[in-house]
Amino acid sequence: MAISVKVMERPEPEETSYLRAALSGMALTFKHLINPVKVTQQYPEEQTDLHPRWRGTHRMEVHADGRPKCVACGLCPTVCPANCIRLVGGEDDQGNRYPIVYEIDEFRCIFCGMCQEVCPVEAIHVGRHFENAEYTRDRFVYDLDRLMEQEHPTTLLWDPSDPRSE
Amino acid sequence: MEPISGVPAIVAMVAKVLGLFTILMLVVAYATLAERRISAWIQDRSGPNRVGPFGLLQPIADGIKNFLKEETLPATANRLFFVLAPMITITPALVVFAVIPVAAPLATPWGVVDMIVADVPIGILYVLALSSLGVYGLVLGGWASNNKYAFLGGLRASAQMVSYEVALGLSLIPVLMLVGNVTLTEMVWQQQQMGIWFALPLSLAFILFLISAFAESNRLPFDMPEAESELVTGYHTEYSSMKFSQYMIAEFGHMVTASALMATLFLGGWDLPGTWDNAFWHEGQLIRGFAEDGSVLMADAAWWKTLVTFGAFGVKTLFFLLVYIWVRWTLPRFRYDQVMALGWKVMLPTGLGYAMLMAVTILSLDTVGMTYGFTYGLVLTGVSGLATLAFLFFIDRGHTIAGAAALNRQRAHAARHARGDNPAGDGQVVLPSAVGD
Amino acid sequence: MAESNEITLTIDGHEVSVRKGTTLLQAAQEIGTSVPHYCYHPGMSSPAMCRLCLVEVEGAPKPMPSCVTQAQDGQVVHTESELALDMRRGVLEFYLVNHPLDCPICDQSGECKLQDYVHEEGREHGRSREPKRVFGRDDFGGDVLFYGDRCVMCTRCVRFMNEVEQDSRLTVVERGNRSIIDTFFEEGLEGTYWHGNIVDICPVGALVSKDFLHKARAWDLDHTDSVCPSCSQGCNVSLHTRDNLVQRIKPRENLAVNGWWMCDYGRMNYEWINAGHRLEAPLVRADGDTRAMGWKEALKALLERAPTAAAHGVKAVASPHASNEDLAAFQALVRDLGGEDVLYRLRVVENERPLKGFPNLARRRELAPNADGAELLGMTRVGDDDASGGLDEVADHDGLILVLGDDLDDQGEEFGRNAACYIHLGAHGGTAPANAHFLLPVTTFAEQEGTFTNRDGRVQRFWPSMETAGAARPPWFVLGVLLAERTGAPAARSAAESFAQLSSRVDAFAGLTYEGLGARGAVVNETVSLTGGG
Repeated sequence: MAISVKVMERPEPEETSYLRAALSGMALTFKHLINPVKVTQQYPEEQTDLHPRWRGTHRMEVHADGRPKCVACGLCPTVCPANCIRLVGGEDDQGNRYPIVYEIDEFRCIFCGMCQEVCPVEAIHVGRHFENAEYTRDRFVYDLDRLMEQEHPTTLLWDPSDPRSE
Repeated sequence: MEPISGVPAIVAMVAKVLGLFTILMLVVAYATLAERRISAWIQDRSGPNRVGPFGLLQPIADGIKNFLKEETLPATANRLFFVLAPMITITPALVVFAVIPVAAPLATPWGVVDMIVADVPIGILYVLALSSLGVYGLVLGGWASNNKYAFLGGLRASAQMVSYEVALGLSLIPVLMLVGNVTLTEMVWQQQQMGIWFALPLSLAFILFLISAFAESNRLPFDMPEAESELVTGYHTEYSSMKFSQYMIAEFGHMVTASALMATLFLGGWDLPGTWDNAFWHEGQLIRGFAEDGSVLMADAAWWKTLVTFGAFGVKTLFFLLVYIWVRWTLPRFRYDQVMALGWKVMLPTGLGYAMLMAVTILSLDTVGMTYGFTYGLVLTGVSGLATLAFLFFIDRGHTIAGAAALNRQRAHAARHARGDNPAGDGQVVLPSAVGD
Repeated sequence: MAESNEITLTIDGHEVSVRKGTTLLQAAQEIGTSVPHYCYHPGMSSPAMCRLCLVEVEGAPKPMPSCVTQAQDGQVVHTESELALDMRRGVLEFYLVNHPLDCPICDQSGECKLQDYVHEEGREHGRSREPKRVFGRDDFGGDVLFYGDRCVMCTRCVRFMNEVEQDSRLTVVERGNRSIIDTFFEEGLEGTYWHGNIVDICPVGALVSKDFLHKARAWDLDHTDSVCPSCSQGCNVSLHTRDNLVQRIKPRENLAVNGWWMCDYGRMNYEWINAGHRLEAPLVRADGDTRAMGWKEALKALLERAPTAAAHGVKAVASPHASNEDLAAFQALVRDLGGEDVLYRLRVVENERPLKGFPNLARRRELAPNADGAELLGMTRVGDDDASGGLDEVADHDGLILVLGDDLDDQGEEFGRNAACYIHLGAHGGTAPANAHFLLPVTTFAEQEGTFTNRDGRVQRFWPSMETAGAARPPWFVLGVLLAERTGAPAARSAAESFAQLSSRVDAFAGLTYEGLGARGAVVNETVSLTGGG
């Protein structure tokens, strides 16, 4: 596609009047003053509709009996490009492999979503969530309990067969 | 009815001072909120709406914040002037209000109270004198901060205000000629007598005064002294907390005062259409006007008339405040040379010419024996309208403000013209900087 | 008649000459082609039952299992032909019919041959729609856990127990689809001493170590070649570390020492390497006041004090856990200070644990890796078989006492109290070391480079696998610096230089260099037998 250039026709200085230009400008602002096109979102009251593929802080899915779905396979700390996941696996009393320690440093995290993509049991998810204010920095290291407590909706994965999907 | 006197007069005076000061400060406070909300609406935003209903407590929150903030005092600043400067700035902005009549006289059981704090005989001269004092606060603050940006801001403030005071004074001359007096009460009375507010018979003076008032109160597009894109925040760069707040109060106080002044000089002050509310002290009597035979018609002061006229005055003042804010969020800041060019090369000659035109017109009308009144005003309106049209279509065209690109083109035109004048081609190179203005 | 023993065949277009009797799989390995296989293991017989090593042999009516087919002269073999690949793809699909695909929770994941082969050659998707048969898991006793669903029935473990350990504890029960490895009744593997090897040789995650269960993922581990420090056999091992901690020890192939195997004792004896509470800075005690110092400061003070104390006689105690370089440097310093004999103590247990199926391989009685090195250097063994006692003279000595590596756990508070100067080089503190005037932190074998001499006089190298604790330095380095300060000769800057000094000084090590040792080790000129018939 060729680049088109729009040539602006500007009046000669002798033909311009500052006051008239200023008055037409004021007419424009007055139109907006009395009939504003409101784009501001009243945030805490009005919540944003997050994109279905928005990637925010993590949450861990749990089984019906309250156990984490994670089987401590170690793929997420392996794939994590920011190296923000710490995982120590172990065995619970029913002989299931589970994470004894599962920590995500949300400050190091770059929210690429690869942990969710790689998870074989759909346990760890990035969430459609962004309200992360805390009073101390160490609160941003989410441990397993914290991750399991999260209730925000999870992110939809990108479907390679439908690359333009939302 | 008799004017109030004795102890009740002193009580009334104190009440007026306190009341007006309170109202003025409230208006100033809410003008800051209005500025933020109106700017937001103009820009399709919402503005501050969190503190209180519709953000109405925002000015109070700002005030508390400013009181609690840290007072900074630069180590190299001149302590005395640094502290003094904000006070010098804030005082003239507030005291000017003393000579502005805000409503029709109020009838009380102890006599009639003039709704003006001080009806001094020098009126408008007092206004001019005090408002020109405000610049000292800015220059002093800028200098005492020992900061180059603040200093430059102070310098700009002084140069700009000196320049525009000339235009301001010249635009007042037609008003004074028409009124024949300098007190503001007389000006309101004369507008009541004419039946037309001076904005129409003296339309060009009104435009010049409006522009000069913007420049005098350092509002956009004339806020060169605190141009934040060039000078951080200009003269108050080093100020914080309440000292900064004082500068802000002074700026908004100046706006309110200038608005009230414009309302009084050109929109009839507290006057409303019709003669029912007219009131003036004529030879010790409160009169409403003169009958056909020259006898006086007595005015009938009433508390509701005072209230309604005070409302009218308030609406007019607030209208000008709105214009201040509206202009600020519409027009970009001038370049400094444009400010100076506008002041000296457009406003000054226009003001002079218009003063002469009005003088000739008034003299001619008096000579042909036309009485002061509605017809008199219509004639003046016609003459002034022609002058205003001429100003808009000829003087303003290409002279008032021209952008840098337009100026370059003008220079190129001039250079071509200069070459045409030198067909011999004697090798003289005409540099762009050597031509033009 | 060497000629008749050589045959030449063509594998994947490459001509290769091998000895008669070589299998096709081994011949292919000669040219660098690894044919996928499960049941074949070089240390055991080949039953040809995994059917994965099928290759196409021109002229043969069917694909041949390469692990048992002997190479013939003039044969033309294709390991990557369409037929061979198709065969292997089919075999792999059969393996996956009942495989649970629980890689995320399987410890073998990452070093699993089934993963590797399916990834390389298998189908992208399974076609089986039948329900999988489920066995669950079984505790085989000892350190071994059995996940029946993951098993590919290669029977390596059964053959190991039968042929190598020669204690038949495992067998295949049931038939066909339901066949499964099992122990005899409740006997299990308890009481065998080499069963850890079946975890190593299991190509999939069917047999896993209880000790290592869920501890680390295979791809997280760093592998460092080393020598087992648990007995005088000197098995070649690999230390698998993660986060600066040894997670497990795996045997490393060395046919001259341990083949592919190692004993359970050595395999499990690694926690002490990870133990904390290490000495991290030189501690110098003077006037009843102990304080930490920098190395330079501490060694300077030591050099001032030691020679005067040495005038009253020098007593030295070393440890058979120290490397050859450390012992030699220690001995050289002791001799320079006027001492003569270096004592060492050695723990000896009652029973040897031989592996019957491999010659000259056993968990030896002497539980120290370098007793032979100490002996070669002419040190004197004292004390009893529990490595205690025998130091009465040293404890009360009033001259100079030097200790290297021995923690002196059996010694009381009085050890070294009378000494004019007591220098202790160790990794850990303790009751007796606390009396030292100079308590110098040194590295463990896992943190430094060096060599051990095993009971057959084989000098074998090991490499550092962990970060040093604090300011700890290798003993050969510290002792070398001290000696150099006294003699003016240059100090060794690397373990290799230290070893070169050793081999030039001690006849037994003459001619050996680090390059010559390589990863397999070399035997010293003369062999010394310890304590009679072991």
